[in-house]
Amino acid sequence: MPDPQQRFSGQTPEGGVPLAGPDPVYLENPVLDATVRMVVELAAQVWVERERRLTLESLLAARGLLDLGAIESFKPDAAQATALKAERARFIEDVFKELRRIPATPGA
Amino acid sequence: MNTITDPMPTLDRRADASYLDFVEGFREYILGKGADFEDRLNAALLAEGERRGKPMDEIAPVRDYLRSLPLGRLRDRLARTQQEMKWYALWRSFDGQRDALRAELERWDARGPGRLQLEPDFVLPPYLNVHFHLQPGGYYKDELSGFLYHYGTKVFFRGDNDRDELHDKLVGLVPAPADGKVARILDLACSIGQSTTAFKRRYPQAEVTGIDYSAPMLRVAHRRAAMLGDDVTFAQRLIEETRFPDAHFDITFAFIVFHELPQRITRETVREAARVTRPGGLFAVYDFNETKSMSPFQLYHRDFDAAHNGEPYSQEFCDSDFDAILAEHGFRVAAQPLAKRAGGAGYMKHWFATRA
Repeated sequence: MPDPQQRFSGQTPEGGVPLAGPDPVYLENPVLDATVRMVVELAAQVWVERERRLTLESLLAARGLLDLGAIESFKPDAAQATALKAERARFIEDVFKELRRIPATPGA
Repeated sequence: MNTITDPMPTLDRRADASYLDFVEGFREYILGKGADFEDRLNAALLAEGERRGKPMDEIAPVRDYLRSLPLGRLRDRLARTQQEMKWYALWRSFDGQRDALRAELERWDARGPGRLQLEPDFVLPPYLNVHFHLQPGGYYKDELSGFLYHYGTKVFFRGDNDRDELHDKLVGLVPAPADGKVARILDLACSIGQSTTAFKRRYPQAEVTGIDYSAPMLRVAHRRAAMLGDDVTFAQRLIEETRFPDAHFDITFAFIVFHELPQRITRETVREAARVTRPGGLFAVYDFNETKSMSPFQLYHRDFDAAHNGEPYSQEFCDSDFDAILAEHGFRVAAQPLAKRAGGAGYMKHWFATRA
């Protein structure tokens, strides 16, 4: 996954205050920064899922199509399983990409 | 792809829209009374000033004290994070439909009403090489910069400008010149042209031109205006060297432009505005409040924004005396701060200056 913060990072503003680079550390160490970012990212992902589920349930209910029991017993076929795995990888990348930002250096 | 009535670019997936909806709400939460960072940290700064017997009115002690507080550091982390999340999601969503969006721009480039005037050999001055507000590629390095900017500012304004309501309102507050004559209007650094079209609607008989250095912004501006049926011109020109004739415009306008310019360019731009605005014409500017009117927390936020949110020139603008710069260049100035949230937030001020 390309990181847009890393793209075009070279810049030459004249004067002004020097800009913080792509990866500032605000808390006591980069692990704490990454932890906060992951928590906010998780909240975003939870909202994305909840919004979609509520949309889906509304649409299905409006059409008289929602059967909660069918959700519990659903078994994905091979293609669906592959698609779910890709979604899972994307989800994990979104939440945990912060781990790559923690430098392998001692201290903060 | 977008319908003809909504120029806001469509995201690649519904999930991207939900994600950005979260960012917009989270932004409101951490900037407003939800997390209540501003009032609590400002109170802490004022109390510390009391304790020291010296007001916290300089940035060095304010910065040192606020960053000694875990709450202050966490607030910085979250302010930066919501901005990074916004651009991460937006850039990925538009990059995922890059070919379609490129074709969409090409489809509108030559369509009217209105016209797009790009300069193939346009030279970009080095001071523009900034990724303003952390936007990936800044305002011109990505062919989709205009789309990124449009959706990015939608999130930035937290729902107050989804259909250009803020631009319509601020343009509506600009007084006409005293003699009432408004035949030509210039929108300086018009980006995607939301003020430009607002002026055209207010003065349908006037010839309205928006200029900007960024071709990707101007293409989105032209597409948006053409979709909305507004007959305006978008031209790729520098605001400090517009190449228009002397005294050509009745109203010259600049919306939150000057804090993105080095002071040298600010002065050149005001000089240029004085040249192209006719005697008795109006130069209307909306921009950030000055440092001298800021609370201790606002002082801190300006400093943070300058260094951590791609606003490298904003501090020098806020520290400057813009009233005096306008007066030096032959403008009679009326200026007052906008009421909090009346114009999008409590951070802006307007200068309605008449050309002598």
